[in-house]
Amino acid sequence: MSAPATSPLDHPEVRQASAWRYIAGFITSMVLMQAALMVTLHQHLPYQEYVFTTGGLALVALLCQAALFFGLDISRAQIWKSVSLVLTIPLFILSVGLTVWMFQSLAQRTMIMPVTTVQPTLLE
Amino acid sequence: MQVAIQGPWSPLFGRLTLASIPYHTPILIATFAGVAVIGLVIVGAVLYYNKLGYLWREWITTVDHKKIGVMYIILGLVMLVRGFADGLMIRTQQAMAIGPNSPGILGAQHGFLPPFHFDQIYSAHGTVMILFAATPILTGLTNVIVPLQIGARDMAFPYMNALSLWLTTAGAILVMLSLFVGDFSAAGWVGLIPLTELPYSPGVGVDYWMWAIQISSIGTTLNAINMIVTIIKMRAPGMSWFRLPVFTWTTLSTNIIGLTAFPVLGVALGLLGADRYLGAHFYTAGLGGNLMLYTNLFWIWGHPEVYFLVLPAFGIFSEIIPTFSEKPLFGYTTMVAATFAIAGISWAVWLHHFFTMAAGPDVNGFFSIATMLVGIPTGVKVFNWMFTLYRGRLTFATPMLWSLAGLFLLLAGGITGMMLAIPAINYSVHDSVFVIAHFHCMVLLIGAAMFAAVSYWFPKVFGIQLDERNGLMFFWTFIAATGIVFIAMFALGFEGETRRLAYIYDPAWRPMLWTEEAGMMLYIVSIGYFARMLYVSLRDRIPVPADPWGTSRTLEFLTHSPVPFYNFAVTPQVNARDELAWRRDHGLEKTQPDAFEVIHMPCNSAIPFIIGMLAMAFGFGLIWRIWWMFGAALLGIVIAVIIRSFDKNLGYEIQPEEVAAMERNLATAGIIAEQPARKPLTEAEAH
Amino acid sequence: MSTDAPPTDATKLFHPHFAGHDQISARTLGFWLYMLSDALIFTALFAAYAVLNNPMSAAGGPIAPQVVNPVEGLWQTYAVLGSVATYSLGTVALKSGNKAGVMLGIILSIVLALVFLGFETHDLLGLLAKGDGPARSGYLSAFFILIATHGLHMVFGIIWMLVMLVQIPTMGFTANVVARLINLRMFWQFQATIWVLVYIYVYMIGAY
Repeated sequence: MSAPATSPLDHPEVRQASAWRYIAGFITSMVLMQAALMVTLHQHLPYQEYVFTTGGLALVALLCQAALFFGLDISRAQIWKSVSLVLTIPLFILSVGLTVWMFQSLAQRTMIMPVTTVQPTLLE
Repeated sequence: MQVAIQGPWSPLFGRLTLASIPYHTPILIATFAGVAVIGLVIVGAVLYYNKLGYLWREWITTVDHKKIGVMYIILGLVMLVRGFADGLMIRTQQAMAIGPNSPGILGAQHGFLPPFHFDQIYSAHGTVMILFAATPILTGLTNVIVPLQIGARDMAFPYMNALSLWLTTAGAILVMLSLFVGDFSAAGWVGLIPLTELPYSPGVGVDYWMWAIQISSIGTTLNAINMIVTIIKMRAPGMSWFRLPVFTWTTLSTNIIGLTAFPVLGVALGLLGADRYLGAHFYTAGLGGNLMLYTNLFWIWGHPEVYFLVLPAFGIFSEIIPTFSEKPLFGYTTMVAATFAIAGISWAVWLHHFFTMAAGPDVNGFFSIATMLVGIPTGVKVFNWMFTLYRGRLTFATPMLWSLAGLFLLLAGGITGMMLAIPAINYSVHDSVFVIAHFHCMVLLIGAAMFAAVSYWFPKVFGIQLDERNGLMFFWTFIAATGIVFIAMFALGFEGETRRLAYIYDPAWRPMLWTEEAGMMLYIVSIGYFARMLYVSLRDRIPVPADPWGTSRTLEFLTHSPVPFYNFAVTPQVNARDELAWRRDHGLEKTQPDAFEVIHMPCNSAIPFIIGMLAMAFGFGLIWRIWWMFGAALLGIVIAVIIRSFDKNLGYEIQPEEVAAMERNLATAGIIAEQPARKPLTEAEAH
Repeated sequence: MSTDAPPTDATKLFHPHFAGHDQISARTLGFWLYMLSDALIFTALFAAYAVLNNPMSAAGGPIAPQVVNPVEGLWQTYAVLGSVATYSLGTVALKSGNKAGVMLGIILSIVLALVFLGFETHDLLGLLAKGDGPARSGYLSAFFILIATHGLHMVFGIIWMLVMLVQIPTMGFTANVVARLINLRMFWQFQATIWVLVYIYVYMIGAY
């Protein structure tokens, strides 16, 4: 395996650095976080809608960072990063989602509920 | 923030006192004497034959993937024997301590092991077998074979490969150390919560278990990264994705699991560490802890881990069965798809380990169905193997016999697994030995694959035949023993025997327990044959050709036996899926390259070994709460990594004339041969 | 396989002078995979936080809205994203081999990271001083460990940057140094991305 004749600075992953992308990434992330903070501070949304709004803002922020900061795309230099990320995302969702689901079910069935939420059961 | 602990503590020695040495336990003294004698013999032999330098230069500091793989396998085999000794003690205790009138010796009321010691033994048995025997052996096999199968010169990161090995070794040494300094966890290999919490396990046992696993699993994660990058980036020209051997495919998917599952184990144990060291309340019974959280996190890793082990086993069968059927593998594409389907589903089934936790029927139902779905791709694989056998020209060599036995074990383990996937059945056999028998069928299938692989690739790596006669005896005794032990165990499960019993209260189980014990004796015989097989092979040293079986199909059998340290003198061009079979069919398998060229190789490095030993000191310091040792070792690791990053070593080059000389006299390039000192490249030469 | 073509005169069996593989790409992919693995660590920590973020696990101690301050968190977010932006702009200077530019980016990045860690340490020490440390309740354990794990990543990132500040002038932009700079950029962006998730989930949604 001989060392490539070209300079390491000509490597595509060095070449892909771009000032406008990083500045755009910084600005969009900041704006989105600020928007999420505004929504949080003026709490007038019901919980579900609030979660969807802030969660959505976070999702957009993550996508911006993936595209602008990480520069992920399907070019030869980046394809494997993109593929491995796409393959791993379901694992994030599965492990958090199924855990929360299981504990919710467990809490409903085993924990002593506050009086207001106790439902009459067949035994009573 | 240091948590109050029971017993004495000093800044210099932490919790370590002379009383931590179990010199009053006869079994451990005998074990220690045995280990000391073997250790002295090995050290004495190394010194007598003046091999210390050789050992250091050619093995301990090596970055060669084959040597690292072989060391992984040796480590795994040593730990396999240790795990077997634990299993033997469990079975013997249960065969002795039956009923209130059973006698007790060596300080036990019944049998020969007091409950606390018995608990440590079954905890160690599980931990050792899964994490320190099966995992290193399979990692070692993938290490040796995959770079050869894809026509690479080495792994993508040879130095990191050595680091993985030494981290795993550090974990294994900690487990062994717990025999003679302090004690091991008595809370099961899964770490039954809240038994592992400080108030209920105030000793160092749980800490040994926890840190040994943590350190070795960092090694496994690094190895997973290395393997994936190797397979993606290091394939020989022409080795397109759908020409990859199935073993390489399964290695890829298994390492994807390793990469993503082991961090979760790290968190599960790390949070337990926070509880034990910082007084946190993740899993405690009071102050807002949640016991189920541990079980949940542990099995998020635990189930993918099962497939982490079984997928390479499937890959091994997929290599061996076509070779000894003289046919290409049936349904290559479906085999690859099934491999990835299994890896994918493995992430959505973990809850079947605790159906009885009281989650609702919807949750249990989801995980039950997901678990049963695993049966579909597994079934596809089994049928593919069967269709490969169908109308093949079968040769029943030892690797083939192991593979076929593995299929039977897969059937028994798989079908009982389907039964356990049904929550209703699971409720009645949960924590019974039926479950134990089920998963032992699965892990022994992995064991069968490991032995198949060792007998299949041993001649390739070392260039000598593995004795077939003793190999066959090893196979038949081992398989017979497996049948005797685990069929009896299935029966006991239905009779209601639960796991982890130090005392058997129902004498009706005696016949089956004694049957199991007889099976264990047969296992001892089989280990004897294994040792004899190695001894006879090393004594006779019958050389083998490049393809020892004559019908092998994949690229690793193209290069010489023993494999030279540079793997392929000239990188092969791949033209077909089963490259060697293709060349043989067209009469090209003997063709050698016309000319040799300069080969660039990485230099050996002592730093992985040093980091491994520092990691061991790091673990030891944490276990005994010797804070200075912990801090110094951590600092040492950071400094070693930084020093390594300043290293300007560019590797060395072997000139074509030297390659030609080694190709003529293969023994000089083999795995055992000692290489002369070669000068590393200078900056000027590299450009 | 029957689909594999038989050999012809043009068939090559060996590939002499095979150039091998691009080391920088192998290293960045390897590091990327490490980051995915690290992301799973945070996934598990988030799962633990989700389970323990309820009044029962607070065990009478403070709950999320009493522990976190989303407005202050925004300042931390500014700092951490600014740190990433300065480092990334430093790697733009790498394109022209401008050592001073790269090092300036790294130094600014370290300063902003220290600002972030300053905020964080101040918060955590304040909680500890009130007796609300990780030993207080299951909820606080989850909070502390999640925040501290992220902080620890930043500490290691800073150590790495300091090493690079020595290596750039002494070793120049060799393939190894360039690969490390690219990896460090990914790592630094990764911890910022994790922080965005922590901010949204722990400081906002979890504290609703």
